[in-house]
Amino acid sequence: MVKNITIFTSNTCAYCQMVKKYLGAKGMSYDEVNIDEHPHRQAEAMEMSGASTVPVTIVTKGDDSKEVVVGYNLAKLAPALT
Amino acid sequence: MSDNKIPEHDVVIVGAGPAALTAAIYTTREDIDTLLFERGVVGGLAAVTDKIDNYPGFPDGVEGLKLAGDLQKQAERFGAVIELGDITAIEDQGDWKLLKTTEGDMKARAVLIATGSDYKKIGVPGEEEFYARGVHYCATCDGAFYRDKRLVVVGGGNSAFQEALFLTRFASHIDLLVRSTVKASDVLEDEMQKFVDEGKVTVHLGTTTDEIIGEKGKGVTKVIGTKNGKKIEFPTDGVFVFVGLKPNSQFVANSKIVLDDVGFVKTNPDLETAVPGVFAAGDIRSGATMQIASAAGEGATAALKIREYLEVRPHPVQN
Repeated sequence: MVKNITIFTSNTCAYCQMVKKYLGAKGMSYDEVNIDEHPHRQAEAMEMSGASTVPVTIVTKGDDSKEVVVGYNLAKLAPALT
Repeated sequence: MSDNKIPEHDVVIVGAGPAALTAAIYTTREDIDTLLFERGVVGGLAAVTDKIDNYPGFPDGVEGLKLAGDLQKQAERFGAVIELGDITAIEDQGDWKLLKTTEGDMKARAVLIATGSDYKKIGVPGEEEFYARGVHYCATCDGAFYRDKRLVVVGGGNSAFQEALFLTRFASHIDLLVRSTVKASDVLEDEMQKFVDEGKVTVHLGTTTDEIIGEKGKGVTKVIGTKNGKKIEFPTDGVFVFVGLKPNSQFVANSKIVLDDVGFVKTNPDLETAVPGVFAAGDIRSGATMQIASAAGEGATAALKIREYLEVRPHPVQN
């Protein structure tokens, strides 16, 4: 069960829009951290993902375990949301 | 699942870039049931381009993301439906085309392939290893991670220049490695010259990119290149690669659709492929000019040809 979803995004990132669109189509709510508006949180995205890219989607499950999906990758995002 | 339950559409458009969305505007305005199926970004490469200066109707240019969003809204206004997923195969069944997808099978009376192309990789050591950890192919996605840092941009065409110009917002300095000579438009070259004059960009002509070097957990630290037979080191925090395009045509590999030597889809002057009822438009088409305006034009043409194709064929009965 999904407890919480956070997406790290930027203003110009088309793939970020796709992740938001995908979650919207599934009726799932999420928190968004825009690194252009909150540059100090960029390091958080890098630490969680190990990558210098957005989107980064953090899915927190009911048992507080976390799944991190880097990029717009439906093959990884879809199973992470179950 | 029985064959009866396979969803049917008059037209399935594979892709949702400018050619696909334009075609959908035309077909849905004529009440032709149209589904678009997209595995990546709605708007395609246009959506990940910072600024588009040569699409007609925008005297001051337009952000790629905005153009893509507006094309989508326009297509959806007339009833186009966009689903997300990947087409894995197309099978010609005569009046119907069977599409195998990651979301299940579907059938269409006509198909438009408008899957476009993706940026090529350079294929040098370090490129795979540091992917998304210092090596990038999307400036608008990843540029913000390089505030006040040094970058290398690889490529000498319009994309490389456009994206390098975008990256000047963030980077402290950019080394632009151009394998031969500059192929970018004069307008982009003139714009780049301003940053060269400021010392923010250095253009290295006749310079190959041979290796990307970094440290695990730290990312990229330098790029090794060659100019006039001499090895050169470029200290950097990241590398952005824009060295040309490769077609997204893998899913038709086992069909009767004919590809050219590079993998782009061959069509006749009506934009129809070797399989009747399957059309292609935009960057995926062999001979395409790789321009957004051309892709939109081809999308409109394909839609009109699809309409003609459907008009002379009675709606097939599903058994």
